[in-house]
Amino acid sequence: MTETKTPMLSIRNLHATVDGKEVLRGIDLDVGRGEVHAIMGPNGSGKSTLSYVLAGREGYEVTAGEILFEGRNLLEMDPEERAAAGIFLGFQYPVELPGVNNMTFLREAINAVRRARGEAEMDAVTFMKKVKAAAKQVGLKDTLLKRNVNVGFSGGEKKRNEILQMAMLEPKLAILDETDSGLDIDALRVIAEGVNALRSPERSFILITHYQRLLEYIVPDRVHVLAQGRILRSGDKALALELEEKGYGWLLGEEAVA
Amino acid sequence: MTQAHQAQREWLQALLQGAPAAAGPEWLARMHAAARERLEQLPPIDRKQEAWRYTGIDTLLAERFVPPPHREADLAPEERAPLEGLETWRLVFVDGRFQPHLSALEGLPEGVIVGDLRSRETHRDNLLATSVAQASGHHAHLFTALNEALADEGAFIQVPAGTRLERPIEIVHRVTDASAPWLITPRNLVLLGERAEATLIERFSGRPGTRYFHDGLTDLVLGRAARLVHYRIQDESREAWHLSSLRLDQAAESRYEGCTFAFGARWSRTEQNTVFEARGAECHLAGVYLVGEGQLCDFHLDVRHEVPECRSSERYKGVLFGKGRAVFDGRILVAKDAQRTDAHLSNNNLMLVRDAEVDTKPQLEIYADDVQCSHGTSVGQLDPQQVFYLRSRGLPEVEARRLLCLGFASDLLEAVHDEALRHHVESRIRQTLVLEGG
Repeated sequence: MTETKTPMLSIRNLHATVDGKEVLRGIDLDVGRGEVHAIMGPNGSGKSTLSYVLAGREGYEVTAGEILFEGRNLLEMDPEERAAAGIFLGFQYPVELPGVNNMTFLREAINAVRRARGEAEMDAVTFMKKVKAAAKQVGLKDTLLKRNVNVGFSGGEKKRNEILQMAMLEPKLAILDETDSGLDIDALRVIAEGVNALRSPERSFILITHYQRLLEYIVPDRVHVLAQGRILRSGDKALALELEEKGYGWLLGEEAVA
Repeated sequence: MTQAHQAQREWLQALLQGAPAAAGPEWLARMHAAARERLEQLPPIDRKQEAWRYTGIDTLLAERFVPPPHREADLAPEERAPLEGLETWRLVFVDGRFQPHLSALEGLPEGVIVGDLRSRETHRDNLLATSVAQASGHHAHLFTALNEALADEGAFIQVPAGTRLERPIEIVHRVTDASAPWLITPRNLVLLGERAEATLIERFSGRPGTRYFHDGLTDLVLGRAARLVHYRIQDESREAWHLSSLRLDQAAESRYEGCTFAFGARWSRTEQNTVFEARGAECHLAGVYLVGEGQLCDFHLDVRHEVPECRSSERYKGVLFGKGRAVFDGRILVAKDAQRTDAHLSNNNLMLVRDAEVDTKPQLEIYADDVQCSHGTSVGQLDPQQVFYLRSRGLPEVEARRLLCLGFASDLLEAVHDEALRHHVESRIRQTLVLEGG
């Protein structure tokens, strides 16, 4: 743990509205370098909203609070600037891009990020090597690399494709929004291995999930319960097991009393 | 006669009087005379006519065009350079005039004729005179008749029966002289013999600031089982007017595959017509158009199935990225006797700005009962989810939008067989799309 140092990500009193409705109602969260945080919570608690606010999606209005990423004010940055700074969002529902070749997309993304960082573009040979290795690791068939992004992919293939993009972009902070949903146990294991392979003291993760199941494969440092737009409780991995056993009702009850 | 009609007549008369009688072969003089006669009889163009309902010609009529002088002209090295990686036989026209010294015609196979309408080689056996006489007179409006009233140059291409060309033939039109508003009237004729196969690439462009009206007329005559692949890149000066009128004459089992990429010109119109009168022929028309601020881009297509067992398609996609207008009028008519016809018609438009306009009119008229036909039209916007997905991966918004636009047109781009040409077109699309955020 890195309590004594400045956290990589620091969220303070974050309030956000979607279509005029307040969804996040005062979030405080610190994620240290190299840490894995799990955010759990019932449907409609604001988990996906939090991930979109972190990635900078339009239509999510921050009405109060601040987010600092490595000391920079994240809320002033465009989505592409956040990507270049090292933030990656693995989508709950990866978007299909008809007519856009998966390989072209990966290459454009990598080079856009490199250009934004003032680095040279990746040469074709290195790129090919990397992409093949990454595809193998996440169990994505080579043929899918040549197809259009996510078009005609199964649910599992889409999620693998997200992890492939993460592996290629090498973010500092990866937010994985329900990457485990809709996956069978084999696919879950492959994806968890992909994530674990990327764990490093320099890289942090926020795993958003409904189920404790994912956390058997990716062991978190911290677990948070997000409900009704606030973090109601934080703990270590034991909290996930407790939630699995008792559900969320008891926490919501506490909130109602409080 | 209304005032507008009077203005049209005066505009025409000024043009015709300003044009010196061409010194040339007798057949050319006959073509001119016949066309002048037709001009007298043709009704004036009117917005009340369906074919001109969305396509105004006021800006054209406001201009005093003059025919360019016959002269040798040069091109800057970068203008002269062929497309990278593309080896072609090439006819080059500068300011509307054929330039033999810039053209590349060495090594054509025996019997293949590629030349200018007037050049001596194309006169063999009086072939040209007969062909032009046969082809003339089918195009019936003011501008096509104007072309034939003045045309004394153009491309003449003949590929004899059974010959398959290994390289594409390219017709390059470049306008360099901004000193006057030129009226450029090429009369082109492409003849493919039985089982002949060729690829034809037409490129039209002008230096920034040049003003001209390219009023082109082309006949494409395909013999039995002949195959022609035809790419057209309309990349004219943004102050130019461009009209291309193409007529196809297809014998049995012939196959025509055409794709137009339209980027330039303030006003452009492409007309393409074919009538199937022999069985087993195929005609596939496609196009990608980009329409920006102040541009009008018009396609008028007419494919008529008169006999059984022919196939046709019209597939056009447009991206409107500025306040401009696109017009698509695509018709496929399947007559009562045209059984076992296969016909597909689609027009899809991507509107990137609020105040652009598309007038799309796909018409699939079917009078036969045993046919395979489909049609579809759409006018839509970029999906903000897709834009955000790309941005979240690091692509700047403009790049994200560009990539999605290319994706939108990708099926038509991938149909371009020649890789060098495809890369050229893709990079022109990238350069042309000036995409603001939002």
